[in-house]
Amino acid sequence: MFITDLKAISPQLTYNSEFLAGKKTSHKDKVFNVIEPDYMEFIPKGLLRRMGKAVRMGVGAGLPLVKNNTDIDGVLIGTANGGLEDCIKFLNQIVEYDEGTLTPTNFVQSTPNAVAGQLALMGGNRGYNITYTNGGTSFENALLDALLLFEEGTNKKLLIGGIEEISDYNYNIDSLSNKFKSELIEDRDLLSSNTPGTVCGEGAALFVVENEADNYLAQILDVAQITYPNEEDITQCLIEMLNRHDLKLTDIDTLMLGYNGDINHNSWYEYLEDSLLVNSNSFSFKNLIGDYRTCTSFATWLAAHMLNGETSFYPHISRRTVNTDSPKNILIYNHFDTVRHGFILLTK
Amino acid sequence: MSKVVVTGIGVVSAIGNDVAANHAQLKRCETGIGKANHFTSKYVDSLNFAEVKLSNEELKAKLNLTGKKGISRTALLAILAFKEAILHAGLSEEEIQSYRTGFISSSTVGGMCNTDELYADANLKGTPSEFVSAYGGGEHTLRIIEQFGIKGFTSTINTACSSSANAIMLGSRLIKSGRLDRVIVGGADSLAKYTVNGFNALMILSSNPCKPFDNQRDGLTLGEGAGYLVLERAELSEDKEHLAEVLGYGNANDAFHPSATSDEAFGPCLAMERALISAKIDASAVDYINAHGTGTPNNDITEMFAFHKTFGKIPPYNSTKSYTGHTLAASGAIESIFSILSMRSNELYPSLNCVDPISNYNTTPIQELNTTADLKVVMSNSFGFGGNCTSVIFSKV
Repeated sequence: MFITDLKAISPQLTYNSEFLAGKKTSHKDKVFNVIEPDYMEFIPKGLLRRMGKAVRMGVGAGLPLVKNNTDIDGVLIGTANGGLEDCIKFLNQIVEYDEGTLTPTNFVQSTPNAVAGQLALMGGNRGYNITYTNGGTSFENALLDALLLFEEGTNKKLLIGGIEEISDYNYNIDSLSNKFKSELIEDRDLLSSNTPGTVCGEGAALFVVENEADNYLAQILDVAQITYPNEEDITQCLIEMLNRHDLKLTDIDTLMLGYNGDINHNSWYEYLEDSLLVNSNSFSFKNLIGDYRTCTSFATWLAAHMLNGETSFYPHISRRTVNTDSPKNILIYNHFDTVRHGFILLTK
Repeated sequence: MSKVVVTGIGVVSAIGNDVAANHAQLKRCETGIGKANHFTSKYVDSLNFAEVKLSNEELKAKLNLTGKKGISRTALLAILAFKEAILHAGLSEEEIQSYRTGFISSSTVGGMCNTDELYADANLKGTPSEFVSAYGGGEHTLRIIEQFGIKGFTSTINTACSSSANAIMLGSRLIKSGRLDRVIVGGADSLAKYTVNGFNALMILSSNPCKPFDNQRDGLTLGEGAGYLVLERAELSEDKEHLAEVLGYGNANDAFHPSATSDEAFGPCLAMERALISAKIDASAVDYINAHGTGTPNNDITEMFAFHKTFGKIPPYNSTKSYTGHTLAASGAIESIFSILSMRSNELYPSLNCVDPISNYNTTPIQELNTTADLKVVMSNSFGFGGNCTSVIFSKV
């Protein structure tokens, strides 16, 4: 399937052209927050006020795409947690008001399918509509579904995306299970920190994908995923995916790896980088955005721009340069918490 | 293209802890709605619930998980129904762990059923609870993956009340595409302060047992449960009993309101229409509809309008939510299983509590038990918040 349009809200200036022009925004905080655009230009004020951050980011990135592509016939969203801030706000009301009379706004906004529902509503789109909440492979789930819809021939143009918000609450919950670094770290030092834990990130990256296109940025060839694997499973999962497209490991000229600065997570990425795909150029992405469960949507956004010939941001993400040819086949590999692992294969 | 068949089913709901018990109570025409004994909430005294008749400790004992920490009630219900389904289908350990076997679950409340623990952990009050890494919607899925060693494709869906209907749809499509040979699909939700207070704030909970399709209906009754179906490629499961064929499915969005259906029932009509097209059958071929039928003023009248528009002459229909309450993400799978039970046993169960039926379309929901129904094709509807509508069609094998 072909990526023909895309939009990302991230901790970088990706919503306009500044990041693509080479500008990097530095972060030194326990969380890497997104830089939000001025939504008022296209979301009515009253509606915007009621939207939680996940819905706001999803609609903020998705609505311009919907408006520019009125023939979109389905919406597929991956979000592990949806509107967590609204969720816990509602929960706090339940406990603090002892299950008294509550307002439903937070409840309605907190359901993870609120983003896909709101995009359908605002775009008047009655097509296929689904939300995946499968932790670290939620976006990969949405990609596979989109590939299936195109194979089946029922749809021609889909809106797909991955969205996650940081709220104080999910930060608290994830830090109680020791996911984050205890020390404050600057983005450029994240991947070389040699300490446990990562930095919490957030973002929304949405794409218009079509089953046929003459003008496009990149193609998504396939996606694969596996849970609780060992190295042998990872290899088999990857090779099976490549076999489906008559590709060999050596055809992967570019790797985009989910290194997140957690020393306990690195070995998986090192296995690909140093054992399986030693002749590929290698890139990172979490030093720009932090880590979150649907961050591979941002990696896909980067890869699409790389395949479209954009290079100005290479210095911020390059890990290993074997050759300086333009990328042809990019493999994104990521795992969340070493449990759910996903591959996304893109080509020009 | 490959046929997709159902080779195993498993269910736990307010009317029973397994398929046989659910079936027996449907046949006795007895509701599972009443006072909750295990669920704790301020509303336990004033509202009715459709609670599974097992405490968490009893569930754990049944599952040989006594003493295990951090397993939510949602996950316990899911494991119980999942185990019954794979046992029914006779799946070997090797089959379950094959790359060609998938698992697609769904939940709305997930681990958030531990509302009080989540409150404490999210607000950093006290030491971390045993549930600290088990609040997510996909956590029950992960627990099953780990316990049963599933290696193939896995997914968790949350499209509110149509979630597990979408799991059935995705699972069938993955088999038809050739990517999988078999897939276990379904969903689970448990009673939670979170949902009770949410639905209460929206003022769509009835203080009485729900009355689907009755003129005096005044809201839904929340239930809990889990349902899983084993779907297999027909030609690879010829040695097994085929309980039904998954004939078709349709998904649409109503694109009208975050928590109500449009008067024109755009979403429900499109979901049913797309399901009929995918099944390659005429509307007149449908012998029975297991309606979404929540008992809210808005749902039932718009669903009847959608029936009228889609079918003209409306086939027999009921809402088994009058037995199980609204089991949210699990409802699509549980009601699909009930539809299959109806078809296999030639039985139609009365829709309960409908004494003054909506009369706009000169039809009433099924009023009494029929044990000589000849059902070849059945439809199950699931419509949810966010405008998410899905219909699934099964046929007799």
